[in-house]
Amino acid sequence: MKAVSALGRVYLAALFLFIFAPIAASFVFSFNSDRFPTLPLGHFTTEWYARAFSRPEVWEAIRNSLIVAAATSVLSTFIGFATAYTDFRYGFRFKQAYLALALLPPTLPLVILGLAMLAWLSQVGLSGTLAGIIIAHVVLATPFAMAICRLRLNQIDPSLEAAAWNLGAGQWMAMRHVILPFCAPAILSALCLTAAVSFDEFVVAWFVSGLNRTVPVMILEILQGNVDPQINAIGTVVFLTSMTLVIAAQVLIFRKRRHE
Amino acid sequence: MTDPLVRFSRVHKRFGTYVAVKSLDLDIQRGEFLALMGPSGCGKTTTLRMLAGLEQPTSGTITIGGKVINDVPPHRRDTPLVWQSLALFPFLNVVENVEFGLRMRGVGATERRDRAMMWLGRMDLKGFETRRIDQLSGGQRQRVALARSLVTEPEMLLLDEPLSALDAHLVIRMQGVLTRLQKDLGITFVYVTHSQSEAFSMADRVVIMGHGAIEQIGRPQEIFRGPKSRFVAEFVGRNNILGGSVTGGMMATPHGPVPVPTADGMAEIVVAADRVAVSRNRPDGTAIRATFLSEEFAGTGIICYFETPDGAEWKAQVTEAQLADLQPESGQDFWLSWDSGAVHVMRG
Repeated sequence: MKAVSALGRVYLAALFLFIFAPIAASFVFSFNSDRFPTLPLGHFTTEWYARAFSRPEVWEAIRNSLIVAAATSVLSTFIGFATAYTDFRYGFRFKQAYLALALLPPTLPLVILGLAMLAWLSQVGLSGTLAGIIIAHVVLATPFAMAICRLRLNQIDPSLEAAAWNLGAGQWMAMRHVILPFCAPAILSALCLTAAVSFDEFVVAWFVSGLNRTVPVMILEILQGNVDPQINAIGTVVFLTSMTLVIAAQVLIFRKRRHE
Repeated sequence: MTDPLVRFSRVHKRFGTYVAVKSLDLDIQRGEFLALMGPSGCGKTTTLRMLAGLEQPTSGTITIGGKVINDVPPHRRDTPLVWQSLALFPFLNVVENVEFGLRMRGVGATERRDRAMMWLGRMDLKGFETRRIDQLSGGQRQRVALARSLVTEPEMLLLDEPLSALDAHLVIRMQGVLTRLQKDLGITFVYVTHSQSEAFSMADRVVIMGHGAIEQIGRPQEIFRGPKSRFVAEFVGRNNILGGSVTGGMMATPHGPVPVPTADGMAEIVVAADRVAVSRNRPDGTAIRATFLSEEFAGTGIICYFETPDGAEWKAQVTEAQLADLQPESGQDFWLSWDSGAVHVMRG
């Protein structure tokens, strides 16, 4: 594995270029004075940021997104950890089915999930509310939290929890003083990743959000009116927020791995 | 004899359809160093885990200090265990690991720190208290695990193959540490191992287990020289076993009659490898013919392996000088002989 062939490197570079060029373009044009995204560039400006963030509905959407992301990350990490711990600790009949069900939501087509959520949430009177979006996002994000926590629990010495009991810790004490500290990096990582999943999520949010729009839903609504460089400005902020969360999630996992 | 500290009475343990321990009766005395020894799957670790409350007996009772403890959860027992993996907490430093047991029992911060530091000093770990576990050597971790288990000053300490991960030279040193510790503290050690040298060099009494049941209990010397069954003789190792029907003090064997001092009937005899003499010419008295296979350097001498014409393996322990005299080559035939006093008789 020493020398990746030159062809391989070129291929890899092309791949990353293909993925990141549109995002980079959006970033560049968000600071470009021209109305339309054309070359050559005009001069540098922060006008689009100023305009975008002077609109009250943008701030409203950001507030909604933050509330939904925060609630989603806490709830789905809690449920995801509990599910992963159940898998780690107990053996029972239908465990495989239980795990498959727990990991299922991200494999469903989002449109189907969004429609189903809309139908169900309006039955219980939650469609169009932030609580409704949170519920939908928890369903989507929990499997990610569970996967991260499972990864961590797989690394634990199986004797560690029993060692805590053996030293006088009851079930809850062992959970608090051994399992949770051991899983802390994974839990923090899951909090970041699930927040990112929720903050970015468009399809399901579009179905269930109603008037309480989140940022991605608002972006689409602005886009439908016209092509506006404000979208680039908002998009750049959203992208940087998500990337920060995802990178934080990665760093938390890898930093802990290094000294084990 | 005083009341035993621990008593297993007719203890069974099943996992599904698998019987891990069957009909176990065992008394463990206060202050003794008891080794549970046997091949893997013999039930020794299950027995230890039942004592710690990590497994529940399917039937039968276990008492500690006269009280039945079958239903007492592990955290309400004072039966600290030194784990095979050591199971030190990687997110805590050395002193935090050691004081864990006291913290779980609600001992105040200053007192538990003092007691943990005392044990660290006792285990030659002064100056390591703020180290992370992954910054310690194998021997140091071992001593942290011991300190962590002993900090609550328990009446007994359970050890589950604690030395199996150490280098050979450290094993010998830790054996010394453990024996001295047990004598100094005067508490009961229950030590699970599959290693004969560990069990025989440290324990006051050895329990040999096989297939979930006790095969033999005794002092190391008793078990070494007087195995009660073929299982024990084979497990203890370096024993040669010969079976046959005895009439008039002679056993009929594939190698001809062999004098055996026992009553008529079927019997098996054990001749320990260190009591077998090897020679090129037929000696006087009992001797059997066998083909040399190979030799192996062991701590106490050199073990030579032979095969008899009926396909049985025989072992003889010789000194280096004897080996130099014999100059055995693979495929050569030799005579194996022994004093009739060296024969140990087992009856089925």
